[in-house]
Amino acid sequence: MEYLVTFHTHYGAMQFNKLCKAERIAAKLMPVPRELSANCGICVRFTAEVAPKPSEHEDMEYCYAVDERGGYTKKED
Amino acid sequence: MKKTWSKWSVIIAGVIVGLVAVGLGHYGNPGNMQLCIACFIRDTTGGLGLQTAGPQYIRPELIGILLGAFIISIVRKEHAPKGGSSPLTRFILGVCVMVGALIFLGCPLRMVLRIAGGDLNAVVGLIGFVGGILTGIVFLNKGFSLKRNYDQPAIEGVAFPAINVLLLILLVAAPAFIFFSEKGPGAMKAPILISLAGGLIVGAVAQRSRLCFVSGTRDAVLFKDFGMLLCYAAICVVVLVANLISGKFKLGFAEQPIAHTEWLWNILGLYLVGFGSTLLGGCPMRQMILAGSGNSDSAITVLGFVAGAAISHNFGLASSAAGTTANGRVAFVICVAVVFIIAFCNTKKSSSAKGAAA
Repeated sequence: MEYLVTFHTHYGAMQFNKLCKAERIAAKLMPVPRELSANCGICVRFTAEVAPKPSEHEDMEYCYAVDERGGYTKKED
Repeated sequence: MKKTWSKWSVIIAGVIVGLVAVGLGHYGNPGNMQLCIACFIRDTTGGLGLQTAGPQYIRPELIGILLGAFIISIVRKEHAPKGGSSPLTRFILGVCVMVGALIFLGCPLRMVLRIAGGDLNAVVGLIGFVGGILTGIVFLNKGFSLKRNYDQPAIEGVAFPAINVLLLILLVAAPAFIFFSEKGPGAMKAPILISLAGGLIVGAVAQRSRLCFVSGTRDAVLFKDFGMLLCYAAICVVVLVANLISGKFKLGFAEQPIAHTEWLWNILGLYLVGFGSTLLGGCPMRQMILAGSGNSDSAITVLGFVAGAAISHNFGLASSAAGTTANGRVAFVICVAVVFIIAFCNTKKSSSAKGAAA
């Protein structure tokens, strides 16, 4: 499943991206899509079997599941 | 959810902002300063009597931008009272950014408008602006953070828009304690209603498009995402074409409106703006938009701009058409040192990755 996670800080996104790299998960840092937020922070998009829980990661705000058509569904913590 | 924001919408946003700038210039705003966040905050600071050496006029454009962002964020259900992310540090960065902007004579938006007017000093300044952003990005990549913000009570998110409504009342009522320049740039102004309407449009468009002169450059450098750069280009082209048609375009360094030719200080002034704004997470215009959208950290940053403007003019730091000042050059060194100290002190080494990503 493909996920997109947003963060309260730039730092949080960078840390999570490093974590993905360390665990050999293909992840991509990118600007947060406009439809998800009015803020201009950065997010991480990656593929994993289980959704991460925002409360378990520093500065993580929301986790969205990305469907095949590019739509986003917010996952509950 | 449908993907609604394409490159085109950002370009259209740029065209609208450019057209508003052209309109404001046509109706009386100063040359190549049809719309400038830094200069207009300085003017407003003067209008309130907080600085007495520079232009004085409560600029309705700024009130409009703030309220435009406020209204559209309420309508679109994106208004969110948030705050608590290193407010005093943001205030200080706001002061430093304003000192830099008033050494160059303009915020990043005015830099683009000056380029569109043929002012090559602004092209030189652009080098410093990009250099400052790159310096900020180095710190972001090393782990710089002003820490996260938190939900705040509703009043925290409406206080700043309310202050702006009060400013509008003061402007219209014009009591004796409000100052109005009788000559110079502070006296060059479009009618209040036109200025206010222009500001409302720009505020709404900038909120919708997330227009920011810093994050656009950041996205281009970090992610090769050039969408927002097209927005700057659109503003520049629209204003350039209007200037060519109206005969206001004048290519060169000398005798440009409200500008000086000290190339090194044009670079350094905007370097400070780019660096400080990157640490703040957005350019001065973006801070206005976020402040209108409920972010009290950005409101504090704008108050930092106000303090910076007051300091710049009362202490003789601000440049003029005659050039920079000795005080301004000293202030630059102090401000750059302060921004570097803030950058170092808020950069933590990456902690070891905890827990599984998934």
